[in-house]
Amino acid sequence: MAKPGFYGPLEKVNDYLWRIPKSYKEGMRVDGLIFADDALMEHIRADQAAEQVANVAFLPGIQHASLAMPDIHWGYGFCIGGVAATDPNEDGVISPGGVGYDINCGVRLVRSNLFYQDVKPHLKRLMDTLYNHVPAGLGQDGKYRFNPRELKQLMGQGATYLKKRGLVTAGDLEHTEAGGCLETAEPDRVSDRALERGGKQCGTLGSGNHFLEVQVVDAIFDAEAAEVMGLEKDMVCVMIHSGSRGLGYQVCDDALRDLRKAPGKYGIELPDKQLVCAPVNSNEGEQYLGAMSAAANYGFCNRQLLMWQARESFELVFSKGWEALQMGLIYDVAHNIAKLEEHTVSGVKKKVWVHRKGATRAFPAGHPEIPSQYAAIGQPVIIPGDMGRASWVLVGQPGSMEQSFGTACHGAGRVMSRTAAIAHAAGRRIDQELLAKGIEARARSWRGLAEEQPDAYKDVDLVVNVVHQANLAKKVARMRPIGVVKG
Amino acid sequence: MFEVFEHTADLGIRVCAGSLNELFVDAGRGLIAQLANLATVRPVIEKSITLVSDSLEYLLFDWLSELIYTFEESRLLLGEFEVLVTEDAGVFQLTATCRGEVADATRHELDHEVKAITYHGLFVRQSTDGWEAEVIIDI
Repeated sequence: MAKPGFYGPLEKVNDYLWRIPKSYKEGMRVDGLIFADDALMEHIRADQAAEQVANVAFLPGIQHASLAMPDIHWGYGFCIGGVAATDPNEDGVISPGGVGYDINCGVRLVRSNLFYQDVKPHLKRLMDTLYNHVPAGLGQDGKYRFNPRELKQLMGQGATYLKKRGLVTAGDLEHTEAGGCLETAEPDRVSDRALERGGKQCGTLGSGNHFLEVQVVDAIFDAEAAEVMGLEKDMVCVMIHSGSRGLGYQVCDDALRDLRKAPGKYGIELPDKQLVCAPVNSNEGEQYLGAMSAAANYGFCNRQLLMWQARESFELVFSKGWEALQMGLIYDVAHNIAKLEEHTVSGVKKKVWVHRKGATRAFPAGHPEIPSQYAAIGQPVIIPGDMGRASWVLVGQPGSMEQSFGTACHGAGRVMSRTAAIAHAAGRRIDQELLAKGIEARARSWRGLAEEQPDAYKDVDLVVNVVHQANLAKKVARMRPIGVVKG
Repeated sequence: MFEVFEHTADLGIRVCAGSLNELFVDAGRGLIAQLANLATVRPVIEKSITLVSDSLEYLLFDWLSELIYTFEESRLLLGEFEVLVTEDAGVFQLTATCRGEVADATRHELDHEVKAITYHGLFVRQSTDGWEAEVIIDI
């Protein structure tokens, strides 16, 4: 397939914001707005992601603008890095493409009281233990089992459900976005196929870009916020990136099938059939929202169980309980989700469905939905980079509420396709190259590691710099990887 | 025959075949080749699949989705297919006999987990030599 670039209008609003005016295409209801600097904009122009930003502006009920974060790249219908808010009272729609196949894919960051010099002598054993203890890769079932009845309870209650199995603490729940539970979940709307796919996979990492990393705090940019989060220079952390596994993929697949005829039925004109959608207030819309929210709750549970197994691995290696190792959850954020939130649009407070497709909630200090511990600094925003360079933690800033429905970026974004990355890795041992940089990598598949090599990604620092400068989220700390588990 | 083509974050499969039946066979093999090394999959278990759709694109989509689901449900890697696609009054039917075996990580070099088949750039059409199709899979 040819991969043409974007040749439509892109007006520079300021050093970190670009506009696609709604006059670009008949049918756009609002402008497109892309957060990027000049250098990133060169990458963005190279594919069709900006066209997708314009296409999303067609959605009925869309508010303010069709937005994209600086890690924008070409997706399915929506671009990755896309944000769109719709008002149900203005015939607003819900679109599964605005959430993605991996419903509630997200990231969590766990701290510890260990420092690099404590871990370095045990790093090989720690990574072997994590690799053996945390299921990763194609076809690896989890050690936790949930029958269909239990799965429905889990999806109804979110991470709270894991209390009765002793696999979650009150602190974990408080430090998870939405407390680990979307109240809009309706597990009875989840198909038998999705339940079948989900029964053995809760607590498994998956493959692709999902990972578990042991990281070291490399640099602190906001001492006060870092102190509140309990982060210090050279401290060892764990970052986990995964979502709702096969259950979520199936819920999305089911929805795309169910909605094939909805745009025609509701008279919605779309420039791309992958933007398939239905009014929030319709049978089809309610069906998807109930099932999607249930899958999101499964996603919170999956990351909780992954973290639990990581804590157990540290216990095995360091012969201390995880509480003694102070492995508290700093925060867990979703970056593929749609949520009903209150925002001010043109001076009016209203409840809107915010679609975040590869974008992270970034609420500022004082927002009622963030934990009391972070009330003064803002919500932690966790941004994974690549396995060779860095990842970040930021805090939400007031500018996110003013400009992007309380949202910031979600990662580095790929710069090399999977096939190009394989060619780039020919004759090389990515694991040995990482080891030479002090990073112990474990992966089930050479191909998987080659496709996820650091060169395949943009430099996350460039992406983070844009959201920082645009006042969407503020830099707190940069972490470098010392151990990687991939599927 | 099938080949893999580039897509920013995922993978595309391009298939060319002399007949529609072969096109669906090769698309199935192209998909399973992303999960494991096809040459190592032995045809020891048989499974039948029947699907109906009102377009060839949706039939291909549903066919590949069914193979993904089969793997997720029973860890069955299917590598050999006999496929018959028929049309009656604009409705397409696929009847397939599939053979393969349960995945064994010690023999199959398991690679990608395929999250889903996408509608992005999906097409099935006649070419000068027969039939061709493209599909992008979410990794």
